[in-house]
Amino acid sequence: MNTNFSRRDFIKKSAWGAATTFTLPAFLQQTLFDLDARAQTLPPQGEEGPILLIMELGGGNDALNTVIPFSNSIYTGARPTLKLGEAEGVLPIGAGPNIQGGTEDLALHPNLTAFQGLWNSGDMAIVNGVGYPNPNLSHFTSFDFWHSAEPNSVAKSGWVGRYFDSQCNGCEATQAIELANRPTLALKSSAGLSPSVTFNNPEAFAWKDLTTPGREVPLEDLFRKLIGLDHPSDSGIDTSNESLAYVQRAAHNAMISTANVRQANLDGGDLLYQDWPTSRLARDLQLIAQLIKGNVQTSIFYAHQGGYDTHNNQILNNNPLTGRHFTLLRDLNGALGAFAEEMKLQGKWDRVLIMTFSEFGRKVIQNGSGGTDHGAAESMFMMGGQVKGGQFFGKYPDLSEQARVKRHSMDHNVDFRTVYRSVLENWMQVPASAMDDIFPLQPSPEEFQPIPFV
Amino acid sequence: MLSPLSQDKWSPRLATHLLNRAGFGGTPEERQALYELGRDQGIAAAVDSLVATTETWENHPWPDWALSETDPNGDLWGGQGNRRRSFASWYFTFLREGQPLAGKLTKFFVDHFAVDSATSNQYTRHMYFFRFWENLRKHAAGDVDQTGRYGSLKTLVNDVSWSEAMIRTLDLYQSTANNINENFGRELLELFTMGVDGGYTEDDVGAAAEAFTGRKLYNYQSPHPNAPVRNPSTFAPEGLPPASSYQNPNQQDTSPKSILGFDKTPQGNDIINGDDVMEVIFANIQCASHLCWKLWRYFVSPDPEEALLQELALRFRDTYDYEIRPLLRDIFLSEEFYDDSVVAKQIKDAADLQLAILSQVNAAVPLERSLEAINDQLGYNVHFPPNIAGWPEPEGDGNTWLAAGPMVFRMNMASIWSHKNGEFLSGGAILEIAQNPDLDWDAIAPVELRSAENFPLLIEKLNERFLPLIPLRKSQVRTLYDRYVHIAEKISEVEAIKEMIRLIMALPEYQMQ
Repeated sequence: MNTNFSRRDFIKKSAWGAATTFTLPAFLQQTLFDLDARAQTLPPQGEEGPILLIMELGGGNDALNTVIPFSNSIYTGARPTLKLGEAEGVLPIGAGPNIQGGTEDLALHPNLTAFQGLWNSGDMAIVNGVGYPNPNLSHFTSFDFWHSAEPNSVAKSGWVGRYFDSQCNGCEATQAIELANRPTLALKSSAGLSPSVTFNNPEAFAWKDLTTPGREVPLEDLFRKLIGLDHPSDSGIDTSNESLAYVQRAAHNAMISTANVRQANLDGGDLLYQDWPTSRLARDLQLIAQLIKGNVQTSIFYAHQGGYDTHNNQILNNNPLTGRHFTLLRDLNGALGAFAEEMKLQGKWDRVLIMTFSEFGRKVIQNGSGGTDHGAAESMFMMGGQVKGGQFFGKYPDLSEQARVKRHSMDHNVDFRTVYRSVLENWMQVPASAMDDIFPLQPSPEEFQPIPFV
Repeated sequence: MLSPLSQDKWSPRLATHLLNRAGFGGTPEERQALYELGRDQGIAAAVDSLVATTETWENHPWPDWALSETDPNGDLWGGQGNRRRSFASWYFTFLREGQPLAGKLTKFFVDHFAVDSATSNQYTRHMYFFRFWENLRKHAAGDVDQTGRYGSLKTLVNDVSWSEAMIRTLDLYQSTANNINENFGRELLELFTMGVDGGYTEDDVGAAAEAFTGRKLYNYQSPHPNAPVRNPSTFAPEGLPPASSYQNPNQQDTSPKSILGFDKTPQGNDIINGDDVMEVIFANIQCASHLCWKLWRYFVSPDPEEALLQELALRFRDTYDYEIRPLLRDIFLSEEFYDDSVVAKQIKDAADLQLAILSQVNAAVPLERSLEAINDQLGYNVHFPPNIAGWPEPEGDGNTWLAAGPMVFRMNMASIWSHKNGEFLSGGAILEIAQNPDLDWDAIAPVELRSAENFPLLIEKLNERFLPLIPLRKSQVRTLYDRYVHIAEKISEVEAIKEMIRLIMALPEYQMQ
């Protein structure tokens, strides 16, 4: 049984002749034609090559209370009860450049202790002032923009999906793994099947057999035969019906990727770090760490943490060391901190880049309900063994009223597409020539130069 | 082009195709009846039986709790989860039980005018959603009362522009003459009428946005102790129901505008407000063409030819004044609709798939928690469209309906119906699914066909019910036979039948319609 069809296997097989390929899923079939014809930088997988973890913070993280200009009088004035300062135990990380040409004394939220550790050890960089022109303050729309990397237009495909379209013809079915109920738009291909899988838990991403006697032949084997994956004479692909063939290939894809995930889970065995917290996010990152340990054929992982829409109850009882944002950052810090420790113990920290983002930051001023409303620019964290850590990139926005956009939101000075580009080019080793395909809508050339955070 | 299919080509296969696309399929008996109607009285009779405007929705009222509209925070309004599940159940039940085409069109509108419940607050979102869906389903049912009020896409777009749900989803309530929010103006052109790259400019977006300024939501005096209390606006007309939309003239941009190259409406008036803008847009053939393109993709196939679209667009705009059902009647009668390149070439979306199963096995919509769990796994939570452009279309390329996770679920979910097995869903759903009534196994697989010798006849019977357009391949029949004989011997014939259903419903071929 071809339960674990790797790219290497495929290339080996294809040398034996085209006959074999007839039974292969589309993304493998295309390889036969494309591998030789097109120069591609196939992302490495499994035991070698870079790994990217995209960490999505849903709801609009309050960047101002995450990377905090704690001594800025506009900040303290605009947030009489929400402000965090030395009295609350913020974690200073030095002065970063601001957009006015000076510097801003910055500190991390008191709960981001592991982040501070990574900053101090040179394993974390911060990109300040990230956003896009004409910011949209709807969760819905702004997420579309971040996922498609096509702000101010109707989203059709995702930036990771287009990266695969451009660079990953012939990739494993599990090239990207997302932990969620529904695939993010970011992974959506502009044409064809994206070599990515989305599932909520590995339990659900498996064949659900019944266990009565008489069912000794596993469901998976029956499925493989019925869809033509293991059948000696039936390829299972009806080339005369294009859309049916698409579904048939999707079934093959599902079959191969469930096997890959199960195998990696088995191979991974126990995790090495002992003190994983118990949050939902930690559970997801544990699974990712497990798959990495099992050398799954995957280069991009995608995890979610929701709940950042802190219009109210951002803090409780006027105590800024309570409330929803406090809890969320505690969980984020715990989960990412444990993940980093685990990667170090696995000896893989140098292969990992973690990128955090949210659909927008929040307004400079606090609102009447002890919270903050939707804003614009935000700060992104970049973590990993090879990150140029302990450094600020981008500029901290000007908080003054005349510099604000969209009613009291911070303006951006780094376009998020530039951050994506930097990740693809400097980390995933994608050639600059592919950027026009991956980013059909681009900021001006001078704003679209890779940022050297890795 | 668009000439009616000749009578001698009518067949059971084409009747099945018609029922699949104009509705959600049916039992072999229902399909046979439609075929015979078309055979005996002509194809037009079969088409008219589906296109006739008969659905009043009287048999599918809102749930009791939602009827307490004057007091949205009253006792009948339970928790958010209960309300959400109740809503989805109401929606699926009327899709399942209502007139097939009315259901199919409602689902089209739900996608074409995607609204997100997260954009409105917990005190109003369900009220907004019910009102929004009510309007969609009335338009989908057509001009039932023969007043011309319902059934036209032009009227529907206008209704949508006043709907609380869309006003929230596209930030229209924030858009005032002094502080324009372009969100609605842009999507009006891009999504609802002209289409991406539909020949309009950024200035047109701006003009549309200006015309729709000052549409506000009347914030009722909420009795809920934790709800923010706001005073009703002085501009809200007397007697306006709570949480309705209205025009605030002080916030409206009333200057004359130019849009799509015109500074007058087709009637010769200045272009001032939203109604005027819509007159100009709907007079533009690109609007008709885009809407026909979208309808064709939904009901027929992904790539309609340009000449065909032009013909449809002219009819839609000039002959039918954007009334939908007469246009669909032309489509369902046309040769193109029954072409080999169309029949069995469409991938079922999440609702199509579930409703096809329910109609094939003649079952009711699953209980609320299981319905929600199934829809979550399939990627069709109606409260949260994946993006502002709605759900993926039912055609293939780049389609997230079939990403690996949902595909695995589609293959697993068959045992919900065959074995009342929901173990792969969350706790509440497992219990609910176990309570489902038994299917009518004697109708699905008559007792006399259950011996191993009769397996070919049994398969024929199952093909007819479950795979009428793409029958099983020989190699598949062989695999199924081995399994059937084995399970029948080790457990029972009924169990072997259930096993067949589970495996057949899991096939890629089963995903097609």
